Amino acid sequence: MSLIETPMIHNLTRALDLASLRQRVVSQNIANIDTPGYQTRDIDFAGEFRKALSGDEADAGSEAVAVRTLRGLEQRPDGNNVSIDRESLLMAQNQLQFQTGVVVLRSEFNRLQLAISGGTNS
Amino acid sequence: MNLFGLLQVSGSALAAERLRAEVVTTNLANSESTHTPEGGPYRRKLAVFESRTESPFQLLMAGTGSAMSGGDAGGGVRVSQVVEDQTPAIRKYEPGHPDADAAGYVEYPDINPVQEVVDLMGAQRAYELNASALSAAKQMIQQSIQILR
Repeated sequence: MSLIETPMIHNLTRALDLASLRQRVVSQNIANIDTPGYQTRDIDFAGEFRKALSGDEADAGSEAVAVRTLRGLEQRPDGNNVSIDRESLLMAQNQLQFQTGVVVLRSEFNRLQLAISGGTNS
Repeated sequence: MNLFGLLQVSGSALAAERLRAEVVTTNLANSESTHTPEGGPYRRKLAVFESRTESPFQLLMAGTGSAMSGGDAGGGVRVSQVVEDQTPAIRKYEPGHPDADAAGYVEYPDINPVQEVVDLMGAQRAYELNASALSAAKQMIQQSIQILR
């Protein structure tokens, strides 16, 4: 870990990576809302994030996030089980999570900038 | 895997839903067509959707570029083929019609306007849903650009 890359920045980057991956999975579910036989997919955000936090730096980079097929959702007669409500809700939630990550990351960079400039904030 | 990949996923769905709407409106427009270049009456067409997976190249790039590779997050949707409904045509007795057969019957396509309009509404709603997913992805990209400022 370098001087500039604080643990906070490191973790926030992971969170943003996971949020963008989840957004992709949700987009994929929404895109396939009319595809017969398509099964909803999702990632375990909290679990993956915990894994990313606990894992040491060396093997964290090579670790692939598991995209799982979700079971237990109500299935339509054509074998598709995408729920519009679930996906819309997840999309909104995920977007806010991403936004939070970005805002905290920016404030962390601002703090670094403050330290570099010696508190003059210029 | 990057944020711009999101645009492709939603974009592929917009294209597929648009094609579906086009197929449905073609069905509606040709509900009385008794004559086609292939011969015989018009046949109702159906768009078949197929889920797309990421290409091996994309997966490879995802593995090397980003800190996290996403397994098979998926690559959107596409219309794999447009098939013809094999329902037999409706036969009407119209001896004066130029497309009438020897017995005086004309074959009309078996198209139910209600069914087509419902399908069109479905395509429209799905299009809207994907458009909002697209704007969500766009917003996320804009937010990450904010980090640079």
